[in-house]
Amino acid sequence: MQVIESSTVLIFAVPLVIFLINSLFSKRLAEKFSMGLAYVAPITQIVATAACFVQIAHLKQHDIIISWDLAGAVSMRFAVHTYSLVFLFCIALVSLASIMVANRTVPQKRTGFASLLMMLILGMNGIVMVTDLFSLYVFLEIVGISSFVLIAMFKSETGLEGAFKYLVMSVLASIMILTGLAFIFMQTGSLQYDHLEASALAGQSPTQLVLIYAAMILMIAGFAIKTGAVPFHSWLPDAHQSANTAVSVLLSGIVIKVAGIYGLIVITGFFGKLPGIKLTLFIMGTISIIIGALFALRQSHFKRIVAYSSVSQMGYILLGLSTVSMLGLLGAVAHVFNHATFKSTLFTNAAAVHEQTGTYDINELGGLEKKMGVTSFSSLAAFMSTAGIPPFAGFWSKLLIIMALWSSGARVFAAIALFASIFTAAYFLRLQRKVFFGKLRDQLAGITEIGGSVKLAQIMLTVVTIAAGLLFPFALLYFRGIGLL
Amino acid sequence: MSKMEAYVETGMLVVGFLLIVAGCYCLIRTYHLLKIIIGVEVAMKAVTMFVILAGFINGKIALAQAFVITVIVIEVVVAVVAVGLAINLYRIYGNMDIRNLRKLKG
Repeated sequence: MQVIESSTVLIFAVPLVIFLINSLFSKRLAEKFSMGLAYVAPITQIVATAACFVQIAHLKQHDIIISWDLAGAVSMRFAVHTYSLVFLFCIALVSLASIMVANRTVPQKRTGFASLLMMLILGMNGIVMVTDLFSLYVFLEIVGISSFVLIAMFKSETGLEGAFKYLVMSVLASIMILTGLAFIFMQTGSLQYDHLEASALAGQSPTQLVLIYAAMILMIAGFAIKTGAVPFHSWLPDAHQSANTAVSVLLSGIVIKVAGIYGLIVITGFFGKLPGIKLTLFIMGTISIIIGALFALRQSHFKRIVAYSSVSQMGYILLGLSTVSMLGLLGAVAHVFNHATFKSTLFTNAAAVHEQTGTYDINELGGLEKKMGVTSFSSLAAFMSTAGIPPFAGFWSKLLIIMALWSSGARVFAAIALFASIFTAAYFLRLQRKVFFGKLRDQLAGITEIGGSVKLAQIMLTVVTIAAGLLFPFALLYFRGIGLL
Repeated sequence: MSKMEAYVETGMLVVGFLLIVAGCYCLIRTYHLLKIIIGVEVAMKAVTMFVILAGFINGKIALAQAFVITVIVIEVVVAVVAVGLAINLYRIYGNMDIRNLRKLKG
């Protein structure tokens, strides 16, 4: 318990302390060290997460509640679950990759970037660890606000436009989520998870059922906006394309999952048994997979293709959640982890290609394989994982999701999810062929491979992607062996 | 429950829905950046009213008040960021028309 408690303190305190240090020193001084200091937060978090995991495996306990008494009057409660540890690890990994990319792509305002990144990490850690719905909403807004400013902070025309679209959609999402919270609060009198669990479905009169359904519609719509699932996806490609690539790594890699998917995990955990909710998530997931992939096929902007791919992959996670079973949740969380690794790889590659050639337009690129070997290989590995080709990590999580769908009786949706992988392969083959394969263009003859921290980030993420794929079955057996599944 | 309380509850519910509809109507009809932000804020105010109403109905008004104060603080921060974006867009385009935001599509 001691280990877990001190790890939790570290996970919250380190980003906050770094934020304070950045603000204490003068602008000129902070500009020099802020980027180096920022590395401390994700690395501490990876170590703390590992320590927590060892402790949980030792105690063989699914979730551990930690309460902090503030001056004896107020007590704050945080929980560490097995699946929130996966989220915490993804947050740390993607933030690390983002800082490495930002070393190259953020030339000025480095202190601002580092401080906002710390706020974002803090907010995401909060979402994953809180134990009541209202705190979840508060941390959701912290994440939202730091993302808007991160997108807009370089004051480019497109950046401001993307940030404004994201802001309006996101405020609509908060209105819906908060109204839903008010309706649930009206009925249960408390928003604590354990009170919700007890009183969620007990003793309903028709009026209460109406309230619960209204709350569910509003909250699912709100979290779907944050996720970027299809009827609500319009902001996602704009915001992710227009942001600086280091910020896109964060947004597509982890923010949509922590802000959207985690909220849906919490809601389906309490209210998933209500009829109708499963079907809603099934339909939303299937439409997301197909529409996202079709839109990705007709783009020519590197980052926009990858952003639409995020919409499509979120559909798989929604399908996994929609089964409301242990297997589906496992598949969804595994896909969250895999998507975090391969999507940040692809955005890192976008940064590498843009830094070296000066363009994101895939029609102006071609034959970069010979010049940028590492980028080409990591892109290939990431795309194979996305499409679900067997030895790679994406295969295992998609397999789990499709198995969960099949065993819960939704065979049509399982078949659609299976065949939609063809679309995934189609748009990534198009990307890979136009950018990396084929004849080298004359104007690209002088291109060299990117070096420094971006290359390091590519290698790190590719190693994680491939290792996760090779070790996945053994990891599952290990989790089963120690009694966590 | 007395008759008076029931009137208050129904009234708050109706007024809240009217405010949300007004905010969304504003969002749909206007092309001015600041007016869009105002519309969104109006809808947000209605939501804080729902939270108070919820506390009033289930008798936990103190908890609801704590929620509402937090929501108001968050709302102000969101409004500041939104107006900051609007000002920067005004500096680029010279007006506040939302139809300028057409660089990103497809």
